[in-house]
Amino acid sequence: MSPDRLVYMANQIGKFFEVQRADEVVPGIANHIKKFWDPRMRKAIFAYLDSGGDGLDPPVKEAILLLKAHAGNAGLSTETSFQGT
Amino acid sequence: MIIGANPTDGHPVFASRMKKGLRDGAKLIIIDPRRIDLVRTPHIEADYHLPLKPGTNVAVVTALAHVIVTEGLVNETFVRERCDWDEFQDWAAFVADPRHSPEEVEKISGVPAESIRGAARLYATGGNGAIYYGLGVTEHSQGSTTVIAIANLAMATGNIGRKGVGVNPLRGQNNVQGSCDMGSFPHEVSGYRHVSDDATRAMFEALWGRPLDAEPGLRIPNMIDAAIDGSFKGIYIQGEDILQSDPDTQHMAAGLGAMECVVVQDLFLVETANYAHVFLPGSTFLEKNGTFTNAERRIQMVRKVMAPRNGYEDWQITEMLSNALGFPMHYNHPSEIMDEIAALTPTFADVSYAKLDELGSVQWPCNAAAPEGTPIMHIDGFVHGKGKFVITEYVATDEKTGPRFPLLLTTGRILSQYNVGAQTRRTANVVWHPEDVLEIHPHDAEQRGVRDGDWVKIASRAGATTLRAKITERVAPGVVYTTFHHPSTQVNVVTTEFSDWATNCPEYKVTAVQIMPSNGPSEWQQEYEGLSKAARRIAEPLVAPE
Repeated sequence: MSPDRLVYMANQIGKFFEVQRADEVVPGIANHIKKFWDPRMRKAIFAYLDSGGDGLDPPVKEAILLLKAHAGNAGLSTETSFQGT
Repeated sequence: MIIGANPTDGHPVFASRMKKGLRDGAKLIIIDPRRIDLVRTPHIEADYHLPLKPGTNVAVVTALAHVIVTEGLVNETFVRERCDWDEFQDWAAFVADPRHSPEEVEKISGVPAESIRGAARLYATGGNGAIYYGLGVTEHSQGSTTVIAIANLAMATGNIGRKGVGVNPLRGQNNVQGSCDMGSFPHEVSGYRHVSDDATRAMFEALWGRPLDAEPGLRIPNMIDAAIDGSFKGIYIQGEDILQSDPDTQHMAAGLGAMECVVVQDLFLVETANYAHVFLPGSTFLEKNGTFTNAERRIQMVRKVMAPRNGYEDWQITEMLSNALGFPMHYNHPSEIMDEIAALTPTFADVSYAKLDELGSVQWPCNAAAPEGTPIMHIDGFVHGKGKFVITEYVATDEKTGPRFPLLLTTGRILSQYNVGAQTRRTANVVWHPEDVLEIHPHDAEQRGVRDGDWVKIASRAGATTLRAKITERVAPGVVYTTFHHPSTQVNVVTTEFSDWATNCPEYKVTAVQIMPSNGPSEWQQEYEGLSKAARRIAEPLVAPE
């Protein structure tokens, strides 16, 4: 999956959370990516971050690092939401 | 208040009820870029029409909140009792900021400040205030944020949890609600429970005798991206024509074309079937038993009136496929499937075909606490505790107009056709809508030398198609509009890959385009017509040698 597309999507998520309460910004981004991104997308964004992570906004970078540190354990919230068109 | 919905065209049954209420004296606020019929129709005239620029919903709804907070119209009793007060205060300070004032938002949205102020005052003080919203809210890069902003508005005014109020989504199709309820998401099981929840997964694993993946899967746009990069190889599509309905058609075609196995189950050889390796004929709603769930969470029986012409109801086809793939599945009747849903889904625990037969329908949650269902939600409290006020900062879409693409395209549906027209185009309804047309304001048409009925090319950075122009003042200058009912037009060739930040719902409602006179179909239309004809060829039956 194209890194550009993933970076764009991650930054979009970041823009919503970066105006929330300070202590919710990074966990909010990390939790959203964990809950809604397929593992191959998360793996790809981890690899992109390892190669420098150009273009990722700072809180998004921090969130992906947090997520990477928690990879494989279910530590983050799984509260879900209503959706549909 | 109706936001981004056109009920008389998209939801005619609901619209007839709404019109009755309006004729009886209900006030009406419409927030929509187009002058939809309800703005002014016999016996009905909207008190306010806020004709906002496509893509500015968040700014306008936040401006409504600005007026409610700064003019002292908050229902403080409700907020203190039912919501998180600290979060409310943060939110109130955010919306009260002068940059969210109607006067500032007018510069972004084009909506006169006085209209925003008047609409906010009416919603907050006019008695019961209900908000109805549609795809004109969700199909944006900030669609989810607008829904949150709407919820903030309802909580701030205490318009939630009783008859005649609330936040009411008008769903895109008749059974979107039911599909969502049943976990038709890549991250959920039935009842909106995340797949990573161990206790929930354990219930399914115990009944089915198979381990379930705790990880979310891909959404449709991501599936297509993954197909193109080679990591997603097969898809089973039931009753959805994604080639015509999803955005950026050429990208979708490339993704479907890259897959090793595309199985389409539908009533007709729909456009997606051009890319199918296997086509399974589906059954209509008259040929199967089951339930549909409408937007008010009402579970309703669907009763078979004739044997399916293809020999099988849709659920039987899925069952046979499952058996062939190695997971034994056997139900004698869909009522047994509902029993399984009830056993696995707390909000459906008391739902059964016997109860639906007895009561006619029920609204979930339907369980020991509410054995006859729940007509109104959030009466005494919210499901997750105190109501949360969430900050909704307006972020302009990256789909921007400029010298190459100076107009904004927004798309929608009309009364006589349904979605991609797979069913309605094959009926006499085509008399009313034989082709998609492009609505364009007289000023924009004149600048381009376009006359009413002319063929025009509509082009975006994603692609181009041609259709006839209809000159009308229903759209504002700078905005054009069309429907997506006909594959000969296939307007989603023009829409882009942008999508909602949270759900990836495509941004159908905002595409920067240019319009110019045309004398023939676009390159894509010519190629697609050839492909479509070739894909529909039927082989001569083989004749056995004597």
